[in-house]
Amino acid sequence: MTTEHLMRVIKFLISLSVTLLLIFVLDRRWDIGGAPIPPVARFLDPLGGFWRNIEPTDMKAPEPMPIQGVTDDITIILDSLAIPHIFAANDLDLYFAQGYVTARHRLWQMEFLTHAAAGRVSEIAGVGKDNAILDYDRGQRRLGMVYAAKRGLDALVTNQEAMIMLEKYTEGVNAYISTLSYKNLPFEYKLLNYSPEKWTTMKCLLLLKSMAQSLTMREKDMEMTNTLKLFGPEMVSLLFPDKEGVPDPIIDNPGGWKFNRTISDSIPLALPDELIKLQKLPGPNPANGSNNWVVSGAKTSTGAPILSGDPHLDLSMPSLWYAIQLHAPGINAIGTSLPGLPGVIIGCTDSIAWSETNAQRDMVDWYKIKFEDGTRNKYWLDSQWVESKKVVEKFVPRGSDIFYDTIVYTEWGPIPYDASFHSKDNRTNYAFKWMGHEPTEDVIAIYKLNRANNYKQFTEAISHAGCPGQNFAFASMSGDIAMHVQGKFPLRRQLEGKFVLDGSRKSSGWLRTIPTQENIFRLNPARGFESSANQYPADETYPFYITAGSFEAYRNRRINNELRKMQNIKVSDMMKLQTDNYNLKAAEILPLMIEQLKGSNLNDKQKDAVKLISSWDYIDDPGSDGATYFEVWFRKVIALTWDEMQSDEVLLQRPTDFTTIKFIRENPSFIFFDIKSTPEVETAGDIIRKAFLLSVDDIDQWKKAHHESKVPWGDYKNSFINHLLRISALGQQIPGGGSAETINALTKSHGPSWRMIASLEKTGIKMWAVYPGGQSGNPGSRYYNNMTDHWLHGKYYELKSYATADEAQGESLYKLEIEKPRH
Amino acid sequence: MKFIVQFIAILFFAHLMDLFLPWYSIALAAFVVGYFLKSRLTFLAGFLAIATLWTFNAWLIDSSSTSDLATRVSHILNLKHVFLLYLLMATIGGVVGGFAAMTGALLRDTVAD
Repeated sequence: MTTEHLMRVIKFLISLSVTLLLIFVLDRRWDIGGAPIPPVARFLDPLGGFWRNIEPTDMKAPEPMPIQGVTDDITIILDSLAIPHIFAANDLDLYFAQGYVTARHRLWQMEFLTHAAAGRVSEIAGVGKDNAILDYDRGQRRLGMVYAAKRGLDALVTNQEAMIMLEKYTEGVNAYISTLSYKNLPFEYKLLNYSPEKWTTMKCLLLLKSMAQSLTMREKDMEMTNTLKLFGPEMVSLLFPDKEGVPDPIIDNPGGWKFNRTISDSIPLALPDELIKLQKLPGPNPANGSNNWVVSGAKTSTGAPILSGDPHLDLSMPSLWYAIQLHAPGINAIGTSLPGLPGVIIGCTDSIAWSETNAQRDMVDWYKIKFEDGTRNKYWLDSQWVESKKVVEKFVPRGSDIFYDTIVYTEWGPIPYDASFHSKDNRTNYAFKWMGHEPTEDVIAIYKLNRANNYKQFTEAISHAGCPGQNFAFASMSGDIAMHVQGKFPLRRQLEGKFVLDGSRKSSGWLRTIPTQENIFRLNPARGFESSANQYPADETYPFYITAGSFEAYRNRRINNELRKMQNIKVSDMMKLQTDNYNLKAAEILPLMIEQLKGSNLNDKQKDAVKLISSWDYIDDPGSDGATYFEVWFRKVIALTWDEMQSDEVLLQRPTDFTTIKFIRENPSFIFFDIKSTPEVETAGDIIRKAFLLSVDDIDQWKKAHHESKVPWGDYKNSFINHLLRISALGQQIPGGGSAETINALTKSHGPSWRMIASLEKTGIKMWAVYPGGQSGNPGSRYYNNMTDHWLHGKYYELKSYATADEAQGESLYKLEIEKPRH
Repeated sequence: MKFIVQFIAILFFAHLMDLFLPWYSIALAAFVVGYFLKSRLTFLAGFLAIATLWTFNAWLIDSSSTSDLATRVSHILNLKHVFLLYLLMATIGGVVGGFAAMTGALLRDTVAD
């Protein structure tokens, strides 16, 4: 070999190495300073990477495709909003198609949410900054989320209808997954560089339990226990009364409860020797709630009942909800579904309509456990040491070592907080009991609701609803309207569940649940309407003890005040009410707040602020400056008043705004108005004045920072729908009005996640709906967020329920045909 | 002339392979063409062919849609403008195409004598 030839070989080898190294580097996922970088070339390749997720404006219908597991031909019509209308010959194919078509639009979201429910996010995203993601995952396992889903599924195995739903839905999702290769994976898989796993019936249950978690885990047992220890029982009943005396409970029916089952005995308190010190897992958003109402034909212009519903939940991209019509022999349901769960959750059948709000009721308890020793192998129960069960949970975080966590289970449930998790004094051992851990029949409730055609069938269907407890508004084409507070509510003794309970005696457990017929409900009320907005469910004569994290106090009254006045109601009136921004809380307290400023020495800016806020109409419109001034001012009042409840160490909670306002009005020299850190003794008036000065400063700073002379509420609040991965480039700004107390309860990243109005006319139900986002979960689709604008501006789309596929096809986007395999 | 033939050949084969195979099949296409068709600017031919192929295809997809995903992705990758995303994509594809084509040509050199 000559030197020259050797040089050529070396040159070749160098060039080859560079090429291969480039391919290796560009085909690999990198983690740079905690920010994951997708395999750059694979991701950017227009023939296979993310560009493939950009959908052309004109979508062509795919060819009819035979799919294994289908018993007959299925037609799915996607309408102009990409809402699927499924026409199937039987239940098997119906749920298969629902799984298939939902996965087609939302697969990544469905899987991500089930990973989140099961404490498996770290498998995709790594342990996170300061182990935050691993910590979240551990929290989910420690709350027994997987345990809950597993028990829920085990209990359904013998129910044929429920299993058909879950199994065929699962098959449909998997049929879609099996069509995927890298090039047509949903966008987020490409971004994070991973692939979907097989769907399972267990995942459906995980989603259901995750929804139950968001709606039932805002309890305050430990906070109340600490309050009791610090301030005594009188103060607890003053600061946190179970009945706050808010007018307009859901069913106001004094003396009308025809059963008397008052439990005379009370439950002994199990006050710990020391204050409970732990870092509580972040609970669900306190604003989780909803509105629904129904008016009878006597109050409407057509003579037909009208039902309205809007669930308020964390807003996200892809959207929380997925609209769908399910049509097969014995079922025609249209409305909204949760991606990952078969059936329609809120909607209409051929002759009824229903919508849920959260019942708020306490379905969580904490039991103080006494262990024999540090091994925690045995705990004290009814005068003997009982074996605990230890479950080792495995975590496989991306890019880190496998992590094992041992969770101790007792008769009551798992012990989430202990020396290795979130405890601040290593002495905490409280077992967590949750109705969601109990096998409930919510899937059966959905199955039957979707087939109910009258009041009797409706009540039978919802009698299976267990956890979360829901307020069901109902209307039928035949003219019935009703409200049912339904769920498996523990029948509680006085104060049971308000504080931590004694876990050393079985008698501290739940006695049983309230029988369905003794739950709170009413059919065809004389006033001609029913409504619910997460307020206290009944008047004082309802015989059972009721406690909760909190109850609503303003939206409920605003809704009822309006409905009482209204006659000859049109659908457009209901749309206006559903998007109403009137702030009743402001109307009730602001005049008194302004009065406190009289005689104060104010500078020009402060005087201008007073002038502005004095002329405000209490409407939280996006362009309103007054709304901003009130909101900032009131928040400062709350923060200054309840400075005693702010502690990094001890778990405490603030009383509600309603109760705070009551103190301002009735007891302005109440001891809590005194600010601890100042030598003076403040009164409510002092707090309000101090808060005012601070709020004007804050708003001034905001104006300077934003180079604005005004401070419109929509801009100040700056609502945003973020992507589930918290990648803001995939989210959307929504500068809307409203606040937690307005019917249009849009806060920073939370609000009306679905709005629906149904008019139950004899000629057929008419339905309008809208939600933020769109049907597709693909950020490269025009259906990713095509409905947001309508939603933001209080507009609706008519949702049509079709009798046949042919009828539906007229206005369709395109037809998706699934064929039975022919041999 | 040789350069243009080389450019077109890489563009054609890389497109064909990229349609069905993973992205790095473009390197194979460039490598093979670089081996059989030589020019004095083989690297440039490989670079420009893949850069053009990718830019054109991305533009084709982008212009047939009202979606703003390309802009969203630019933001995710901390690029101020979607133009920079195109530039990044073209450069990455181009460099791989260029080196692969050059490697092919250099291999030819080693067996030439």
